[in-house]
Amino acid sequence: MSFFGLNLMGNAIDAFQQASNTTSDNIANVNTPGASRQVVNLTEAQPIVGSPGYSTWTGPGTQGEGVLVQSITRIHQDSYDGLFRGASGSQNFFGTQEQQLVSLQATFGEPTNGVNTAFSALQTAFTQLASTPSNSQSGGVAARANVISAAQTFVAQLNSVGGAIQNAKATAIANAANVVTQANGLIDKIAALNGQIRASAAVGDNPNTYKDQRDQLIDQLAQLLSTQTAVQSNGSTLVTVGGRAVVNDTTAYHLAAPVVGTDPSGNPALVIGMVGDPNPANPVPVQVGSGQLGAYVDLYNNKLSAYGNQLDNFANATATEINRVMTSAYDQNGNAGQALLQPIVGLNAITATNIQVGITSAAQLPAALVSTAAGSLTTSMNSANNTVDTSAQIFTPPNSPLTFKYPAGGPTPAGSALTVTVNGVAQTYNYSWNAGGNATTIDQFMTGFNAAQLGVTASFDSVAQKIVFTRDPNNEGLALRGAQPGGSSPQFTIADSNPVLAAGTPQGTATTSILSLLGAGAISGVQQNSANAFGAGDNGAANAAIKVFAKNVGVPSLQYTAPAAIAAGSATVVAPAGTFAQIGVGAVLTLDGGTANQENVVVTAVNRVTGSITFTATLAHAANYTIASAQTQTLGSYYGGLVGQLGLDTANAKTGSSAQTTLAANIDKVRQGIDGINLDEETQNLVKYQNSYQAAAKTLNVLEQLLTTALGLIPGG
Amino acid sequence: MRIATSTIYAQQTAAIDNQAALYADIGAQLSSGKQLNAPSDNPGQIGQDLQLHVTIDTTTQQSTNVKNAVSELTSTDSALSSLTSVLQSARTLAVQGASDTLTPAQRTALGNQIDELLQQSIAVGNTQYAGKFIFAGTSTTANPPVVQQGNPISGVTFTGNEQVQGQLIYNNQQFALSTTFQSAFNYASSDGSPDVFQTLIRLRDTLQNDVVVDQSTAAINRAGAVVYGAASPAPTRLNAANVFATTPVPDGSGNFSLKITGSVNGVPSAQTITVAANAPVDGPGSVVAAINAVTAQTGVTAVYDPVAQKMSLNGTGSFFVQDVPSAGAATAGNLSAVLNLASTSSSSQADMVQNVSTQIANVDHILDTVLNARSVVGARIQTLSSIGDQLQTTITDNTKVESGIEDVNVAAATSKFSQTQTALQAAYATTNRLEAKTLFDYLT
Repeated sequence: MSFFGLNLMGNAIDAFQQASNTTSDNIANVNTPGASRQVVNLTEAQPIVGSPGYSTWTGPGTQGEGVLVQSITRIHQDSYDGLFRGASGSQNFFGTQEQQLVSLQATFGEPTNGVNTAFSALQTAFTQLASTPSNSQSGGVAARANVISAAQTFVAQLNSVGGAIQNAKATAIANAANVVTQANGLIDKIAALNGQIRASAAVGDNPNTYKDQRDQLIDQLAQLLSTQTAVQSNGSTLVTVGGRAVVNDTTAYHLAAPVVGTDPSGNPALVIGMVGDPNPANPVPVQVGSGQLGAYVDLYNNKLSAYGNQLDNFANATATEINRVMTSAYDQNGNAGQALLQPIVGLNAITATNIQVGITSAAQLPAALVSTAAGSLTTSMNSANNTVDTSAQIFTPPNSPLTFKYPAGGPTPAGSALTVTVNGVAQTYNYSWNAGGNATTIDQFMTGFNAAQLGVTASFDSVAQKIVFTRDPNNEGLALRGAQPGGSSPQFTIADSNPVLAAGTPQGTATTSILSLLGAGAISGVQQNSANAFGAGDNGAANAAIKVFAKNVGVPSLQYTAPAAIAAGSATVVAPAGTFAQIGVGAVLTLDGGTANQENVVVTAVNRVTGSITFTATLAHAANYTIASAQTQTLGSYYGGLVGQLGLDTANAKTGSSAQTTLAANIDKVRQGIDGINLDEETQNLVKYQNSYQAAAKTLNVLEQLLTTALGLIPGG
Repeated sequence: MRIATSTIYAQQTAAIDNQAALYADIGAQLSSGKQLNAPSDNPGQIGQDLQLHVTIDTTTQQSTNVKNAVSELTSTDSALSSLTSVLQSARTLAVQGASDTLTPAQRTALGNQIDELLQQSIAVGNTQYAGKFIFAGTSTTANPPVVQQGNPISGVTFTGNEQVQGQLIYNNQQFALSTTFQSAFNYASSDGSPDVFQTLIRLRDTLQNDVVVDQSTAAINRAGAVVYGAASPAPTRLNAANVFATTPVPDGSGNFSLKITGSVNGVPSAQTITVAANAPVDGPGSVVAAINAVTAQTGVTAVYDPVAQKMSLNGTGSFFVQDVPSAGAATAGNLSAVLNLASTSSSSQADMVQNVSTQIANVDHILDTVLNARSVVGARIQTLSSIGDQLQTTITDNTKVESGIEDVNVAAATSKFSQTQTALQAAYATTNRLEAKTLFDYLT
């Protein structure tokens, strides 16, 4: 009899106690994020064996010495961490974007209470004004005031949404800064834990808890940005972001606070660099990938900036087109029209947040266009008791038709031309009524004249037998628009290169002037303005404004006259700062608008630093050719495209968030299936170790009784 | 498969969250009646939806404009209808006046009635619609545009203009919202024919004052040519080729002679005037000058209207003209035919009956003008009404499309709502049971 059994069972009780403790630790950490389950590895104690020459055991075989705790192992599979962190990063990327975009989408208020509703109301107001333009007419004042009111609502909506986008951009920067701070804190902690793990491992410990904590911190970091990890031989983990180390052993490398720098094309961009970058104002960007930080960077650079630019383009183009009509018209008092939509800060271009209504008085709202129909300078072109057939030949050798009061006196002299001057820009329109000419009939003349897009449209009043020239801001060629970038003028002159007949010239007098033939000789060179050609009840400008909304326009609003000629092929055009600010790669531009040399080109490169754009032209263009945005869509469809893109991005964010949440949950389920704590399992372990403990304790008790019995045999014991 | 305890909770929480979110979404759709509440609900169609909003709004305004235009044009049509009645009454009175059986007093009474009709026609000219004068053109005058001159009325002045009042533009088609004063009243007509007021004044004066007129029954020029009057530096001469509708043929002596049989102070008198074959129509040495040279003997004066291209002879009582041979000629020329004069014999003389009959033709002419204006206005009303119907159809169609995009399918949504509700309840129950079971329950 010895104390051997007692020692053996004491070791067993110890082992079962440790196993129970580990199980308790597992149960205690069942809700602890990042906690991996730990298992106790029991092993048989080394048996007692005899040594050569010194026998300590004389019985048969070896004598077992019970059980020992060999180790406490952390159950964890690193391979699932990478998968989970990738999904978790995407989940946070889309989740963050979803939150921001849903909020921004609500600010847009579409489809019922947004800019579109106000835009629609503005069109409706102009449509109403077209019906009752004059103050003398019932509803005229109200209709004019309604246009101003609708315009105010429209700009208020633009200001609001434009401001919301700017706020969203500011929020993205602020939130990104918070995320950077948070990420740097995590990076510091991971580096510290690397040190603790390394030190613990060096002395042979199993730093399970430290590893759990480190992996949990990396999980958290992965929610903020894309991380890549590699376990080093010393037990530390190398953490990189976009190929750049943020934790190497015990060294932490901090991300710099976000700054608005520029991308390689010179566009403003939100940039996350590293602390210590030699150019902190525009550091080398860290490719943060997904996660919350990636979401804010992507939101700023690829979504919010684009929305802001598009809304600014919409506001600017709308103002440009409406103002062109307004400044081409007269107000109720006969004064030249002012721009309806003006910048708040006059020196800056009109944008969604820099736009206001510039007209406050209903009487100042331009609604009338100059038309020679309203003046007395044009007269009936027919001779007495005759009617002009506008489809008939003007000049038929040898006799000119006598249906004209002033018939053609012979072939058109060489160089016959009308000079149409709008806003100081003189444009020449050559005419010839000779056989094969462009004005062999009145109809042909009017068609050709109108197609020249001179800012003045010709029509024929068959009842009054009069030619009518009307100022038409919607019929201005791009070259004319380019030559008057600051707006237009309601006045115009038409001068004939051939001598016009004096007033009172008896009918039947032959002429070589087409203006005289048309009964409009008196307007030659005479400024057409509110004094001699204006009807207060005219609704021309209101109707012209309605057309603005229906026609295709160039967005962004670009009108630039390039001073240097270019040859066919690739061309790079450098313009003064800001000229091409809103033009991006892929934009379609029209060169030499309104001429036979007109063509559309696609921008293939933009350089914000030099202010240049590059495109490939099929034709050569002479100096002072026009560059304008191609007129490919209506203002409404452009805005619809913006809202559609916002909706699509938001829907994608929602879908992505949902999908990535499910994916992350599924991966985590598998991961947790391996290293997660299961209470039922731990309960079983607890019962198992409890029973073992009880058995060992009872065995110890029996051994103790045996020993007591043996000791009782000792006399006097 | 091994499941971590935390996974069970997370899984159930996620399931309940998803079902609850879906439940709330469908509930919101059902309570708002809309499935498109934000762009992200249907990014592919939000652009179309926004365009539809604009289209419906502006089309509704266009529809309102069209209704207003129809109302305004109906007012014009009503005014023209009144004018038609005035002219028809004048015509009836003129027919009564064109009778030798009437006494001068009876004719004067008819003339007085014509004067009243004249005043009515002026009132029609000053018709207002919604505070504006419908025949004033684009003039913004606050005063009536048609103002009578003299008492009795000897003429009218018109202070408006010949512009149409605003235009309705639809699909690049322009619709004038009014007719011009010229179109309605034949005022300052391009063919020189008298307007409503001139016609009524002349008819009144004729009936009251026994004035007779013989005017060219048709313009004397040929189409494509002009017979110039005295105001022209080169008045047209009778031997001008291809100018007159009826080619002048002088008598055997190479001249034209016209015998004018009229009366002065009730005493019959006849005079013959002779002009050369190359005499001008008007001006010095002209036909007009020759006739007016003997007015004292005939009571007849001549006026050539180059605008209307018509010759007009005026007298009192009665008169007539005849082509006669000049001295030394055996045959007469055809001057009266060239001038399209009607009073060429004692049986077709320019007397009261003939004169009033001529003026009935004038009344008929302006009646045609007014009816033409009415037909134009009526056609415009009809077209605009049709456009109004089209616009209404467009609004309905677009609203239907918009509804298809925006509105929720209540039946489907209700079914889905119910389905989600059941799923949510199941998730709650499952969670409850899963979380209620643990081995710890069996520990003693």
